[in-house]
Amino acid sequence: MWEVMFWPIVACVLLPWLLVYLGLHVVQRGIIFVDIAMAQMASLGICVALLFRLDLHGWTTFAIALGFTLLGGAIFSLTGKRASKIPQEAIIGIAYVVAAAAAVLLLSRAAEGDEEIKQMLVGNILLVTPAEVWKCFALFVAVGIFHFVLRKNFLLVSFDRDGAYQQGLRVRWWDFFFYASFGLVVTIFVRMAGVFLVFSYLIVPAVCGINLARGTRTRLLLGCIVATIGGIGGLFWSFYGDLPSGAAIVCMFGGVLILVSMTSLLRRKRAN
Amino acid sequence: MKKILLILSIALCAFSAQAKINVVATLPDLGSLARDIGGDNVSVTVLAKSTEDPHFVDARPSFVVALRSADVLIDGGAELELGWLPPLLQNARNAKLDIGKPARVQASQGVRLMNVPANVTRAAGDVHALGNPHFGVDPIIAKAIAQHIAQSFSAIDPTNAAAYDANYKKFEAAINAKLQQWGAALLPFKGQHLAAYHDSWPYFGHRFGLEIDIFLEPKPGIPPSPSHLAEVIAQMKAQKIKAIIVEPYHDRKIAERVASATGATVVDFAQYPGALPSTDTYIKLIDALVSRLAAALK
Repeated sequence: MWEVMFWPIVACVLLPWLLVYLGLHVVQRGIIFVDIAMAQMASLGICVALLFRLDLHGWTTFAIALGFTLLGGAIFSLTGKRASKIPQEAIIGIAYVVAAAAAVLLLSRAAEGDEEIKQMLVGNILLVTPAEVWKCFALFVAVGIFHFVLRKNFLLVSFDRDGAYQQGLRVRWWDFFFYASFGLVVTIFVRMAGVFLVFSYLIVPAVCGINLARGTRTRLLLGCIVATIGGIGGLFWSFYGDLPSGAAIVCMFGGVLILVSMTSLLRRKRAN
Repeated sequence: MKKILLILSIALCAFSAQAKINVVATLPDLGSLARDIGGDNVSVTVLAKSTEDPHFVDARPSFVVALRSADVLIDGGAELELGWLPPLLQNARNAKLDIGKPARVQASQGVRLMNVPANVTRAAGDVHALGNPHFGVDPIIAKAIAQHIAQSFSAIDPTNAAAYDANYKKFEAAINAKLQQWGAALLPFKGQHLAAYHDSWPYFGHRFGLEIDIFLEPKPGIPPSPSHLAEVIAQMKAQKIKAIIVEPYHDRKIAERVASATGATVVDFAQYPGALPSTDTYIKLIDALVSRLAAALK
């Protein structure tokens, strides 16, 4: 058990906190599918690198993927107007399908099939290497510090947009910083753990936290607890049931969410 | 706890005449050959399911566990499992299974691969730079793989070397006898052209004198373009092609569409034992393929 599951467990303990925090922003802003769109932009970048026959594991490929993610961030921050008839989710959805379809077009012109690309893009939490976990952790700490130092502005822009405009904040720039750092985190985590997991880690703990508590700090703490329980529970389940690990964690999250909603429902009833 | 387990396992070893060697095979055809050669002296774990696309296999925790305790690993090689085996091996950290060690049987070693691209270019659209890795369906290549497996088993477990050798001879004789039968069944169709969903059958075609050279899906995972399908349909009509070979993980709808446009029949094929009904061994699988194809071409 431990020999196989040790590093996945380490990953599930060390990494989710930043995703939970960013998830609170994402849920608050109502841009639930932005992570999947960002991940798809990154894979489009990798397909471009493939077309130019670059080494898929080299830094140029990573730079191109990151470039595409930043492009996505720029688009989303430009379209996120203060008052707009078109919801931001529409733009995000369009960015996702166009990036996905463009990737299919590019791959049909590339020499290789998509085995290697799939492996590059969609990691498997079961197969993380220690080096990957530490690299990812270091990056998360860096982004975490960035967000902690500037937390006032980031929180204001996400949670009180009108207030942010009134205070004269350059909301568009802060949006871009948010999307850029978010894209970096998502790209790295998807490569390590897959799209399913990144989505669940962002959304489920945040929803649980919002369900159960009020202040951002309490929500974050609750979200981290949910993320850790769901992650480790899912890994155990995957080991003893011999199931694909990512999917097991996601379903465990689903179960935890049902439990949390029932508890909050009961509490509300009792309060009445 | 570990000590108790160790003592128990030693006791168990002493009781049973010998411990079985743990064999992991990536694909079901290799697993079937390993069972034929190893008999009761080996216990075989197969990673991919027979209905799973060998290019894309979902890793589960038991795969890592199996690889960790494996005494022998048999894989197809030639980049067939490129997408999923290397990360599994990296996590299993079992140095016995490194390429070049006697415990690692790469089936592609010693096989002269077909369709090796002169140079991989974008225009050629070749998937596998080393050549086509779907060689297991050629029974003569299967004999070579079986021999390779027997040599590896003998090196790992010398006390049973004679048994492995005898099993190999038995397998060889069975294939030789069957080859006559299979050849005779497909002889009437010699030189006929066939279509296939994916280019998995050049070795099978080569062995039995069939030209399986029209493909619905030029690259795995990339849907065929309308112009490509139109070209395929025109080609099939011009050459009066009667059958389209499809594997379980392919998009049967596309094949049926082409079949209805050309009057050809869709033939369900599989590269791996177990994917078609009552094909639990390699020989039964080739039996089924030959009889299905003969029925479709009649």
